[in-house]
Amino acid sequence: MNAPLPKRLWHWLERTRVGRSVFRVGLPQSNLERSQAMVSSFLLHVQPAKVSRHALKPGYTLGLGLISLYLFLLLVGTGVLLMFCYVPSTDRAYDAMKDLQFVVSAGLVVRNMHRWAAHLMVIFVLLHLCRVFFTGAYKRPREFNWLIGTALLLLTLGLSFTGYLLPWDQLAFWAITVGTNIAGYAPFVGLRLKFLLMGGNVVGQEALIRFYALHVIVLPGIASLLVAIHLWRVRKDGGLSRPDEPADLVAQIELSQLPTNKTYGLMELARGTTPQVGRNPEDEVFSWPHLVFREVLLFLAVVAVVLFLAIFWNAPLEEMANAIHPPNPAKAPWYFLGLQELVSYSALWGGVVVPGVLVLALVLLPYLDRGRQGVGRWFARERAVANTIFALCLVVAIALTVIGSLFRGPNWSWQEPWKQPPALTERS
Amino acid sequence: MNGSLRKFYGGFTALGLLVGVLVIVAYHQDQHRQWKAYQRQFVQAEIRRAATPPQRALAERTPIQIRQILLPELSRVDRCTTCHLAVEDPSYGGYPQPLAYHPLHDQHPFEKFGCTICHRGQGRATTVAEAHGNVPHWDSPMLPLKYTQASCGQCHQAADNPAAPELARGEQVFETSGCRGCHKLGGVGGGLGPELDKVGARRSPEWLNKHFLAPATVTPGSGMPPQKFSAPDLQAITLFMLSQTGESVPGFYASMKVIPSASEGRRLFGQKGCIGCHSIGGQGGKIGPALDDVGLRRSPEWMVQHLRDPQAVSPGTVMPRFGFAEGEARALTDFLVHLRDQKVALTLPSLMNPIERGRGIFGTYGCVGCHGPEGKGGVPNPNAKTAEQVPALTYVADGYSKDELRKFILNGQHEITPLDPKRPPPPLYMPAWRDTIKDAEIDDLMAYLFSLKPKGEDLGF
Repeated sequence: MNAPLPKRLWHWLERTRVGRSVFRVGLPQSNLERSQAMVSSFLLHVQPAKVSRHALKPGYTLGLGLISLYLFLLLVGTGVLLMFCYVPSTDRAYDAMKDLQFVVSAGLVVRNMHRWAAHLMVIFVLLHLCRVFFTGAYKRPREFNWLIGTALLLLTLGLSFTGYLLPWDQLAFWAITVGTNIAGYAPFVGLRLKFLLMGGNVVGQEALIRFYALHVIVLPGIASLLVAIHLWRVRKDGGLSRPDEPADLVAQIELSQLPTNKTYGLMELARGTTPQVGRNPEDEVFSWPHLVFREVLLFLAVVAVVLFLAIFWNAPLEEMANAIHPPNPAKAPWYFLGLQELVSYSALWGGVVVPGVLVLALVLLPYLDRGRQGVGRWFARERAVANTIFALCLVVAIALTVIGSLFRGPNWSWQEPWKQPPALTERS
Repeated sequence: MNGSLRKFYGGFTALGLLVGVLVIVAYHQDQHRQWKAYQRQFVQAEIRRAATPPQRALAERTPIQIRQILLPELSRVDRCTTCHLAVEDPSYGGYPQPLAYHPLHDQHPFEKFGCTICHRGQGRATTVAEAHGNVPHWDSPMLPLKYTQASCGQCHQAADNPAAPELARGEQVFETSGCRGCHKLGGVGGGLGPELDKVGARRSPEWLNKHFLAPATVTPGSGMPPQKFSAPDLQAITLFMLSQTGESVPGFYASMKVIPSASEGRRLFGQKGCIGCHSIGGQGGKIGPALDDVGLRRSPEWMVQHLRDPQAVSPGTVMPRFGFAEGEARALTDFLVHLRDQKVALTLPSLMNPIERGRGIFGTYGCVGCHGPEGKGGVPNPNAKTAEQVPALTYVADGYSKDELRKFILNGQHEITPLDPKRPPPPLYMPAWRDTIKDAEIDDLMAYLFSLKPKGEDLGF
């Protein structure tokens, strides 16, 4: 055998007693082994042995969901590392940031990765939502998974928002002050919710410890659970949405019919959903290597991008939080600036009506929009009305966010970003 | 199938290499820190200076590591010594920074005080720019060396610190230039300008300098008149302002608030009523001995002992035990020893006549600021009916009875009659001094004001 040395080493390793006990199948050589590899590995068995080619098209999913998952995993990893240094105390939190920067080995780059991955995750989860909408992928039988996705979007925002406070600098303090104020506008429950969240009426030690507990255990715990269910549901709902889904797919799922007609069917005891249900077996490929390799590639790419950002741009850190020196203007985290912009016109609209209607619309969407047309294609003509409404909302949201982020100066007055704002700094 | 896999292998190689390179870059960035170069420079210097092989071996083994002074009481960690490695080694006197020796170790041992309590800057930082604090988002950059004395005021009373003459001068300039007329400091002063209790933490030396000379250039619309300070006075008052940070130092650091000094002794001498029994320059009580030449008769050690426990040193004496602390006894001794070669006694408030005391009060409460030195007026107050100026006080004795004047000072006059009702009202007004100037002081102040009238003149009101 003239295989390269690493490959020979690997083959020797997987044939040893220990290697066989760990890998069981080893590097698959035949289609049987490819299916076996997928089901005999804990990490791989979440996915089917074969996937439709359509699901592998980069242009269809753009990998957005997977990128979000990878960012989440990166955030858990870097977040745990940060927890070894961080102390959720108003006296020590800011100092911990400085120590990470100046004396902790790799402290700065880990914090930077955590920060940029968090911003990217908000962006990619939102993009993932857009993809699912524009391809109509939330329709039957995937309505409930859309709901879980909506919950995951809110959790992502919650994770980012609670993490925003932890550095305990001016940026953190005032962004959370503004953000929780927006939450306080909700009728009846707003102020109570705000008090519950902050353990008081102002941001202080109580708020810090609550945000910390939410950020490091409560929200990531719920998010992990929901991510697992989200992925499991993707399989149970017949893999990724695609245009040529058999018409009886929904009926099959709901009637609990089990497929029995394939030799590898035993490995795919998913209820009536598995790829072989499709009329055209040739349109499927083995997950190993076609899916798994792509996933590993994408993971490497995500790590590379986050590392690159972390090496060349530092996470912001302003002066230590100071309750008597508000910056002007005080701004919420960027993803809430659209709401803050609305609040500047009307607290009722920005704080209550718009966010309430948006969340409600997301929740009700799959049950209101029940047509079966145009699933699995981008911008399907049959879905022109829905797509147009969604696109309009998107444009307005982006416009408001851009205005709130870049065009608002002191006292929330109009301020072109390319013009020097009037000097407000007290120090010369 | 194998053909399509080949592109994966290319992708794995490329992305794997990219991630690898990025990890190496991140590691490199993390390992190559500015301070390590300075530490190697120090090790080289140590090796060069080693006289014997064992010394050389020791120098070569100097670890390259973060050095820090932990100051839990001050909630500070100062890592300045990570680069300034020789601050405690006098043999590095005159070395260029960062390896220069720092004197004053005896009074302020670095392991107890650190660096930033005096010099400011960012103690936790380990790069030059960040540590010296001249970076965005750091409120407390290093004080320029000529303003370092401002920090003495954090722990020590400004006026009583013999090691900080400029700070004492700054306080004097502040108290005599009428700043309190408009600004509150420590709760005393007028309300026209902002309070100054924390000004030293907010403002930079450059800002303060500019502000004194031309207030409106740094604070548009400021009503503060430009000040004509001499250069040394300007530096001193800037320094005094920088010392007003509003920060309180805890425990050990606050215990040295009073440095034993002649001026503190003079204050104690007046406060404890020593003059009731003892006399200086013929004034004072006759129960105890005159103190004019006590410094010739007694040793300082004897005086400290005597002050702390009179009975132990002079059995049968009638002098009570005042319970002076060691520092207070030393301060009093300092004052008494220096009685002969300084005319400090003449400025004892209790030895001055009411007019002289009143002059001091006129300065302390900032009357000077509006009514001018010696009450001669000349300070503009646009659109005031009194010639658009704050009235002079020279002839106050002719216009008011003592009772009227007392009432006027206590109640103030908020509405100043305008010259032209259509123009904006005059900006300056007479504040009510009821809760600020003490009753006893009012009498002295009026005595002073009545004394301002030139002798022999009578306008015949």
